[in-house]
Amino acid sequence: MLLTLDLNDARPLHEQVAAAIRRAIGEGHYVPGDRLPPARDIAAALGINSNTVLRALRELRDEGLLEFRRGRGVSVSARADGRALLRERARELLDEARKYGYRREDLITLIEELA
Amino acid sequence: MNLRTAALPAGAVVAAAVVAPPLALRDRLPDPMAIHWGPGMVPDNAASFSVHLIMMAALWGLLWLGLVAAARRAVDSRPGRVSWWALFSGGALFAILISATTLWANLDAPVWTDARLDPLATAAVVILPLAVAVLSGYLGRGEPDPPAYETQPPRLRLRSGERAVWVSRISNPWPLIISGAGAAVLFVLGTLEMTGFVRMSSIAAVLPALVVVLLVGLFASSLSARVSEDGLVLAFGPFGWPVRRIRLDKIHHAHVEERYPSQVGGWGLRGLPGRTTIMLRGGECLILTYHSGGRLGVSIDDAERGAALINTLIAERTAA
Repeated sequence: MLLTLDLNDARPLHEQVAAAIRRAIGEGHYVPGDRLPPARDIAAALGINSNTVLRALRELRDEGLLEFRRGRGVSVSARADGRALLRERARELLDEARKYGYRREDLITLIEELA
Repeated sequence: MNLRTAALPAGAVVAAAVVAPPLALRDRLPDPMAIHWGPGMVPDNAASFSVHLIMMAALWGLLWLGLVAAARRAVDSRPGRVSWWALFSGGALFAILISATTLWANLDAPVWTDARLDPLATAAVVILPLAVAVLSGYLGRGEPDPPAYETQPPRLRLRSGERAVWVSRISNPWPLIISGAGAAVLFVLGTLEMTGFVRMSSIAAVLPALVVVLLVGLFASSLSARVSEDGLVLAFGPFGWPVRRIRLDKIHHAHVEERYPSQVGGWGLRGLPGRTTIMLRGGECLILTYHSGGRLGVSIDDAERGAALINTLIAERTAA
């Protein structure tokens, strides 16, 4: 699993980790049913605390992207598909729009104009 | 005719050469017959005729089975061909000679303690198969291997200010199952010893081997790999220990290859230093080429992205 973090990202670390995992799943690196590496391994690679990674994994479970199963570790949920990637891209778009002074409503208007 | 279809009849001929002479000369052999000689060529161990025959058949049979299984992939690389031919010819001759010398020593001996082995025969059993193995390995070497990759090693595109890490893990349940079996045998032996069925000395003989099987199985059951700016870290076993760290500045580049246990000589840590493979399962392997020219292969999932990240990080480092 390839995880990328933006060093200039101001969001809390666990949200950044969740975003990186969401991106990895959204880009098709992992398909539903695949097992994720243990939180301990991800934490060691990123040089952060395991609890931060676990918090990110729990967030993704609550979103329906991951499944926690006893004895089988964490795997990608069967319901996960392109939605994860779109959600992450939309979030990034929202951040970018804010940088240019646009609000969420402006962005929605923009998307409606496109459709 | 490929190697596998040739190995089947050739191996059968060897098997016949190993077991047919003792069967034909059974009337002139003592039972039990001497099977091992100590210092001064005095026989110090004996076995019944059938046990000896089964041992001889198993010696060649197991090697033959392994070679037939490995024949399909062994031909793909020069080291594979050399070791296959060396093992086939050397192994065949070793099995035939060991059967023949045992037969010769026991022939017409009234009891097994009278079986005398010629020291020259012992030397021949060791030296001749080795010589034949070297020679046939050389003759069977074939064309040199083409370069392992011809395209550019894979790369990633990272945006500036982005930090990337790669994490992967594989596990193979078999070493763990074998470990479990080893632990069970240890437990049974311990119980038998305590109840007085088996003497401690016979347990002591198998104890080191059992402990090694247990530990190796445990460490070889899973492997986790991670790549970050510090380099590649490989952690073995369920506890993530032992750990092997390889710094990025030692690595020239990384690429991906398909490798199989039959090509590298089995499971586990395989090969000589400089061309080692850490083989837990056949298939996709991450191959590192060091600046020193040595190579390390690691069987791991998602190796393509891992190799790409290593190459990208090396490029960033040399550019900086």
